[in-house]
Amino acid sequence: MADTRGTASSLRGRVDRRRFAAIALPSLAAVAVLILLTTQNVLAVSFSISGKPFTVTARELKGRGFEQFGVLDRSALSGRPGHTRETVLTANAIRSAKITDLCQSVALAGLTLRITAGTGGAPVRATNLVVDADRLSGDASFTNIHIGQDASRLTQVPGVEGPPGTFGQQAATVTITGLRQHAFAVTAGTFTLPNFSLHFGGHC
Amino acid sequence: MGAALYRSDRWRWGLDAWHQWRHTRPFWGGLLVVAGGTEILLTEAVPIPLAVHIGLQGIAGYLIPLVLVLVGLLLLFHPVQRTFYSLLAIILALACWITSNLGGFLVGMLAALIGGSLAFAWRPQQQPGREAK
Repeated sequence: MADTRGTASSLRGRVDRRRFAAIALPSLAAVAVLILLTTQNVLAVSFSISGKPFTVTARELKGRGFEQFGVLDRSALSGRPGHTRETVLTANAIRSAKITDLCQSVALAGLTLRITAGTGGAPVRATNLVVDADRLSGDASFTNIHIGQDASRLTQVPGVEGPPGTFGQQAATVTITGLRQHAFAVTAGTFTLPNFSLHFGGHC
Repeated sequence: MGAALYRSDRWRWGLDAWHQWRHTRPFWGGLLVVAGGTEILLTEAVPIPLAVHIGLQGIAGYLIPLVLVLVGLLLLFHPVQRTFYSLLAIILALACWITSNLGGFLVGMLAALIGGSLAFAWRPQQQPGREAK
């Protein structure tokens, strides 16, 4: 651990407060700008949450390119021998989605984290959205739906296919109103979150 | 009795060595950067094959917090380059907002930013050989 090249290796040091302020204040300003750009729908952020079930609700979801198939999710926490924590979930993939009144809540260590977005006119936009859910409800309408297609031959969302030989369905467009899903994993290539706000406490 | 004394001497010696090690590098800064990066990595839990499928943005979600942890370790174990590492830690922490779950829901990002700033502001005292205790 000895630092052979450093001239300062044996010198004790401390934090210079003015130097700290000079770098910390611009950094915090940059954080404020990032949060502002995200809420103003300028900056797209990337999400991938998993491991814990969480609730996602939306007033309306309009998607182009929809796929649905069954997946077997293995929890990353299945470390205990003799216990496989596998759950059968449906993977719902949408190539590009517009979501109004999105609300997402997850319980983290006794604290509920709630994210809302797309509430003020401008919808949330997501590309290559994949949601692994065990419960999904709402009023759905599809166009050009193919039911019973082999899950490995689905084409509506490029790059997302299910296991071969299993049931799958796909549609050119999907509209779901009053969406409510109990999900285990959400991933998206990009997510824009207009009117983004993060709260502690409360459910969707 | 003698053995106990010997043990307490060893304990003292170890404690002194630890204090010496801790005070000759931006310890809290590096530790906060490592902790922040780890927290962001823990919120990131997409299966790796799917992340690869999504492409660059999927991989970046893991890559950037991972590099952040490495930079934090480098701050601890190679403090000579602390200016470069600390600026890198600040930039990577800001990038995590976009790539990795809003910087681990802001928590890890702020920890890494404060850590990076502390490491940037840390400097050895000028008098060589002075043993301030």
